[in-house]
Amino acid sequence: MSFPKPLAGDWLVLIIATVIVAALFATLWHNEQAGKVRIRAGDAVFATLSLAQKRILDVPGPLGISRVEIDQGRVRVASDPGRHQYCVKQGWLTRVGEVAMCLPNQVSVELLGEGKAYDSLNY
Amino acid sequence: MRLKTFERLLHRPPGFLLLLFLLPLLASCGREPVYESQSYVFGTLVDITIYGESEERARELSGHVLQQFQRLHEQLHAWQSGSKLDNLNQAFAAGKSTSVSPELAGMLADATRLSEQSGGLFNPAIGHLIQVWGFQSDEFKPVEPDPEEVEKWVAANPQMRDIVIVDGYAQSRNPAVRLDFGGYAKGWALDYAARYLHEQRVAGALVNIGGNIIAIGTRGDRPWRVGIQHPRGAGAIASVDLPDGWAIGTSGDYQRYFERDGRRYCHIIDPRTGQPAQGAQAVSILVPAGARAGTLSDTASKPIFIDHEHWREEAREMGMEHVMFIDAHGTIHLTAAMRQRLKFTDEHTPLDVVP
Repeated sequence: MSFPKPLAGDWLVLIIATVIVAALFATLWHNEQAGKVRIRAGDAVFATLSLAQKRILDVPGPLGISRVEIDQGRVRVASDPGRHQYCVKQGWLTRVGEVAMCLPNQVSVELLGEGKAYDSLNY
Repeated sequence: MRLKTFERLLHRPPGFLLLLFLLPLLASCGREPVYESQSYVFGTLVDITIYGESEERARELSGHVLQQFQRLHEQLHAWQSGSKLDNLNQAFAAGKSTSVSPELAGMLADATRLSEQSGGLFNPAIGHLIQVWGFQSDEFKPVEPDPEEVEKWVAANPQMRDIVIVDGYAQSRNPAVRLDFGGYAKGWALDYAARYLHEQRVAGALVNIGGNIIAIGTRGDRPWRVGIQHPRGAGAIASVDLPDGWAIGTSGDYQRYFERDGRRYCHIIDPRTGQPAQGAQAVSILVPAGARAGTLSDTASKPIFIDHEHWREEAREMGMEHVMFIDAHGTIHLTAAMRQRLKFTDEHTPLDVVP
């Protein structure tokens, strides 16, 4: 079985498709390297999101809502129902591997990305 | 010529298209076989990372480990009425003898040895003092304990050696003994997990219970790498490679504490004074592979943290060679052996290296 010789239109489609794929690769792939944040609630992953945005999320836990704020490359716990506020006091996280834990409310925020300097954190 | 080759490719679409479809598969080949699970046990975060196993098997393995952790947590809970430890504490207070499982008897004997080795600075029998300071609660609040009550429990001098075990029955010669296994239970659980995962011939795993970590095998062709939290900063102060079977533990004043009148009160109580230990931000220790590496990673850092003015001597007493002590001013003191293993995030961090 043989295919007909490709016409000019076929080439055009091929070229356009290649350009689109290349463009998507350049934009989307780049964003992934810019870093992500993983938010967990209890035993489950609540969300894994790009850091390249401005966004506020309300994450429910056993005590109530922990509010997580993403702001163009950084993230913090803006408020938490726990008494001690350790995770709020930690402020903005910017580097890959940094973690904020709101313990009684079982919400954690971790920065993911390429070149993470370690596999787990001792504290 | 080239165009012709390409045309020929187009004329042989099955192979060419197949290649195109296979390309994305190549990308997934590059993804590493890492499985991560996170749970809350022992009132803290438990992270299990498994390398080199199928997702299904990794889930089974970590599920088994977590179940055991949960079982230990329920047995050893220090302030939940009805736990095995609570029953034991009730019996001790009443001067009665009660049966203990071989597992619990083993823990009591081991904790007693460690307590003696530390000259009583590691003392899980001071549950009453921990309660007086309000730390026997998930949501503890700033308290101002009655000095007389603190004095009373210090004077009562509860010690692990007060506990006598005969034929599977335990009794305390001192009714002031109230066990709080806090960190000891987590360390013991780490050893359990390491033993189990080794037996299961896991290529690599990293288990983190509330900051104390034990490494099993390697992460593929490199060792497991762990960051040490900066006691006052957001990220890691240093990182370290953990060889197979090694554990790391930190006693710090920054994880469980409250502030009152501008002063920080942390959860580590000095049994000699009945007061929260002051003057140290953190003590981190690396424990080489051994059957009790996990247990030691928790217990051996406490005497050094409490008696930090003599941190080097305390480290020797506990048989620890890899020690880092960060004092109240944030100055970093560490042993030469520890210096060799740590990679500091800021290479220009001033260090006081002690032989």
